[in-house]
Amino acid sequence: MKKNNFFKAFVLMIPKFARVSPVLFVVFNIVCFLHGIARAALVPATQFFLERASDFTIQKVTLSDVIIGLILLGLAHICRQLLHGVHHIIMMMYWRRTEGVLSLEIHKKLSKISPIHFEDTQTLDDMNKAIQGKDEAVWFTGSTVTAISFYIPYFTFMAVYLMNIKPILIILLALVFAPTLLAHIFRTRVYAKAEDKAAPIRREFDYYELCLTGREYFKETRILGAFIYFKKLYTDSLAWLNKLDFRASAKASIIELCVKLLSLFGYIGILLLLFDLLMKGEISVGAFAAIFTSLEMVFSLMREMIVDNLGESAKNLSRVQNYLRFLQMPEREGVDTEIPIDVDIKLAGVSFSYPGAKRKAIDDITLILKNGETIAVVGENGSGKTTLVRLITGLYLPNEGDVFYGDINTKTASTLSIFKRISAVFQKYQRYQMILRENIGISDVNEIKNDNELDRICVQAGIDKADNSFNNGYDTMLSREFDGIDLSGGQWQRVAIARSFFRTHEFIVLDEPTAAIDPIEETKLYNRFAEISKDRTAIIVTHRLGSVKLADRILVMKQGKLIEQGTHTDLMALNGEYTRLYKSQEQWYKT
Amino acid sequence: MKIENREYKLRDFIKIPYAISPGMASLRIVDKIIYALIPALQIVTSALFIDTAISIFNEQAESKKIIFPLVCILLLIAHQYVNFALMGLVKSKMDIKLTEAFRTAITEKRVMLEYRHIENNETWDIISRVGNDPVEKIGGGFDIILRMGDMVIRVGSVLFILMAQVWWVALVVLCLSTPLFWLAVKSGKAQYDASKEAAKHTRRAQYLQSVLTGRDNVEERALFGYSDNLNKRYNEKYTAAYKINMKAQRKRYVRVKSASLTTILLSILIAGVLIAPLGSGEITVGMFMGFVTATFGLAQLISWDLTYITSELANNREYLRDLSLFAQLSETLGASDVPAVKSVDPQCIEFCDVTFMYPETERIILNNLNLRLHAKKHYAFVGVNGAGKTTLTKLLTGLYDNYTGNILIDGKNLREFTQSELKAMFSIVYQDFSKYQIPLTESIGLGNINNATEQDIINALDTLSLTKTVSKLPEGIKTPLGKIKGNGVDLSGGEWQRIAIARSLISSATVHILDEPTAALDPVAESEIYGLFAKISEGKSTIFITHRLGAARLADEIFVFAEGHIAEQGTHDELIGKNGIYAEMFEAQRGWYS
Repeated sequence: MKKNNFFKAFVLMIPKFARVSPVLFVVFNIVCFLHGIARAALVPATQFFLERASDFTIQKVTLSDVIIGLILLGLAHICRQLLHGVHHIIMMMYWRRTEGVLSLEIHKKLSKISPIHFEDTQTLDDMNKAIQGKDEAVWFTGSTVTAISFYIPYFTFMAVYLMNIKPILIILLALVFAPTLLAHIFRTRVYAKAEDKAAPIRREFDYYELCLTGREYFKETRILGAFIYFKKLYTDSLAWLNKLDFRASAKASIIELCVKLLSLFGYIGILLLLFDLLMKGEISVGAFAAIFTSLEMVFSLMREMIVDNLGESAKNLSRVQNYLRFLQMPEREGVDTEIPIDVDIKLAGVSFSYPGAKRKAIDDITLILKNGETIAVVGENGSGKTTLVRLITGLYLPNEGDVFYGDINTKTASTLSIFKRISAVFQKYQRYQMILRENIGISDVNEIKNDNELDRICVQAGIDKADNSFNNGYDTMLSREFDGIDLSGGQWQRVAIARSFFRTHEFIVLDEPTAAIDPIEETKLYNRFAEISKDRTAIIVTHRLGSVKLADRILVMKQGKLIEQGTHTDLMALNGEYTRLYKSQEQWYKT
Repeated sequence: MKIENREYKLRDFIKIPYAISPGMASLRIVDKIIYALIPALQIVTSALFIDTAISIFNEQAESKKIIFPLVCILLLIAHQYVNFALMGLVKSKMDIKLTEAFRTAITEKRVMLEYRHIENNETWDIISRVGNDPVEKIGGGFDIILRMGDMVIRVGSVLFILMAQVWWVALVVLCLSTPLFWLAVKSGKAQYDASKEAAKHTRRAQYLQSVLTGRDNVEERALFGYSDNLNKRYNEKYTAAYKINMKAQRKRYVRVKSASLTTILLSILIAGVLIAPLGSGEITVGMFMGFVTATFGLAQLISWDLTYITSELANNREYLRDLSLFAQLSETLGASDVPAVKSVDPQCIEFCDVTFMYPETERIILNNLNLRLHAKKHYAFVGVNGAGKTTLTKLLTGLYDNYTGNILIDGKNLREFTQSELKAMFSIVYQDFSKYQIPLTESIGLGNINNATEQDIINALDTLSLTKTVSKLPEGIKTPLGKIKGNGVDLSGGEWQRIAIARSLISSATVHILDEPTAALDPVAESEIYGLFAKISEGKSTIFITHRLGAARLADEIFVFAEGHIAEQGTHDELIGKNGIYAEMFEAQRGWYS
């Protein structure tokens, strides 16, 4: 079963791997093969030279014969060293390049996956594992390829060589192979079991250390005087962890010892066999010495192949499968359609729930946004405001019902054609660690070099690039980490707004950022936003009921439902949810 | 052990493990020495074996003569095998001891650090690097030093035997291998430098990757559709790092391999000159074979392992540098103490001309600040972000003391109070409060670590209307919170916030501070929190830090912070009457909400 999976994963991976550079891939395999042969060829070369040398002592050969032998041996060593170098350098280059290429592929894939997948912790977890699994996938494929094109030729050559000397010597390989494999199997079992036991305690231990020293806990743990409390948990879990670790290690050592003894018997067996053959005159002293001294290499290459290459690959198999599954994830599909500029947006019986959630985040909403209308969406936390916006913009697709731009359904149109006319400031707007130009221009990368447009937008959003803080104009890096400057929260908010304006749009969304800044400054900013968006379709999601009075229409959300809509006056007259919200806020500010 | 404040040197990789676990460290050193001598011993034993075998074959010796060399060879092999298993255990024992002593010492030092080192990004980087798996780093350093010794002994012992046979060959080898040694060291260093150089690009590539894959920016990524563009730039950065690394690698291989080729030529030379003594019978066939195989083996060792060791050594040095810097970081006296049992109930807290900037920065946060707080009153601190409101609480609780001017508590300078007294005096609900993932009772009980009774906790849960939440938990108030324990239960953001307030509620501190809760709370929920806090703080001195000016009205007195000092102060009505900053801010906010 497992072998089957291993094979399947390998078959899926190999084209991805080889495609990175088919020529280099072929070269790599040839070099591997030659290197394997060169390594094995050292043994006959050594044998040849030693035989001549020992013959020389009994004057069976001349000095020049010995020297020829020596030169051959030297050449064999030189070949081996050079091939070893070429093998490893190609390997390193190829692995790294493949990692890069697979990264690009992952990024591309991610851009096609519907944003909804990022809301499901399970899927998110899988995706993260897959992204991390990329490097393992490279290692997995590369190691398996190496096993096939390097180790197998080496052992085959050795087998043929030994068979030629004396068929019975083939046992030697079995005596090396069996103990190595057994040792590996036992060891992994012991460690896997021990790690299963230790993992939860390790997690606790790490967590207590975090409570003591982590940045997010530091000041509170200190002021509470909780050091003693966590220190005890820390020490206790550490003692327990150490006990488990030591036990596992002791167990592994005993097994290791047993298996090593097995290897030792194998070794003794080989030695006795060689000795016996030597005594019977069936092999020469040279062959004996050559085989005897190469035993260590046979053992170590066997260990490399079984433990480091195939063993590690098997261990990484689940990561690789994660990665492969990720590439299979469904992508958002849709046809490119030209959406006319001046259409209304219609929601017809739209319902939506997040993956894994029982409750509907949006419950049966029908609504028309007229072209050019400014709409405010209000409601308590968790009432579905942000989700509604994500459905309207086409970031999410409804589970039931449809969203239309004119007569084009968001389910059938490609994201590119929908998003073409939309811009937004999201609740979690980004603070890109990039230069000012990119921070604004990232919303429309094709126009990023257009300085006139940037100038115009900056004025609108209240950014003064001549301000001292921008020490390098549009090329000022906005990140301390990358040797740039830090912006204040208010400045970031302006950058976010500039970013949304920079993108050509007919329809714009402002989802109120939750981080509070200077109230006076913020008021100016929002008024500016409202002004600029006056002639276009705009949605403003906000908590500030006072600021929505200017909207053409206010939508009131509660538990996923659209329960009220109308102007401020209409809604106050209803004396419903809106009035309740309004009054609860107003009470703080009554004079 | 304790982390001493001194410069850490390479020898500390041996000294520290030795001080912590002398037994295990000695065992490993002795073992390594024996291990290093094996190749030399192997030459001798296999020579003996082969020579004896030849004699037997030529019927010059009895066949039982072979037993001794055979046993010798087997003993060598057996030693290697048994050793491998046993040393694994010794290493694991040493690691355990290192974790207990060294890692704990690092953690303890971290706990004691002055708070400014935690907030300063530069020192924080050092702290996290030193704290990130320190045992592996120290253990790794120990290993690499042993490997270095191993190599010296290994090469030396083989040369020694060679010298005993043909003394001048050994000398020639010694002279010729010195430049090889130098070459290997140099290439190890070059490799290390290149990886540093490439790291710049790699860091940028990693950042771009996080933008391309992160969850936080999925909306902008989708809507703005910048993936393709960023992907291109990621590729550029990745390729730049790749090229630097590969160039260094290529150079390294050329160096390493030229060293290898030289050693091979050297080996051929040795074998060549040994042929004559072999012919004349000065050295035996066995010895000759032993040398030839051993010298060829050394070629790989010198060129390959030496480069590896050098580059690793440079990495390990880096850790020592960090460790030395870490050891120098100043500590706060009494930082790990519990709060004093008897807390001072200050009648008056006074800031006199307090000026403060964060260490290593230039911006003045508090600028000649003067204010006076009285017992049992409720205060509100308002003002724009960065005006110094939260900073002030850090000074009050003794997290920073590099301010000028004085903070007086009933006339006594704050700097004269011990940490433990300050801890007993103040209780703070932080903006970024901690979500302690421990059993619920304890998560709240930490608020009064000296004597929280279960009844206190139950009362607190009741006051904060958490009783219903608790009744749903599988193990009631004993339920572990969060995901650390297998049977733990995670709470919602609002519930966590209430737990944090409960901690403050059961605290016996005399001054309670609520730093503005910024977690995405809507105004209604936020007002509720203020209401709760007002409820629990009856009869206590409290400070609200808030943006929501409406909530500030609950206070007896409002301080308006601007540019590092108190711009205005008074009751709500007084401040509105003044028609200054407060009034303007209030009007602006009123416009949002009503």
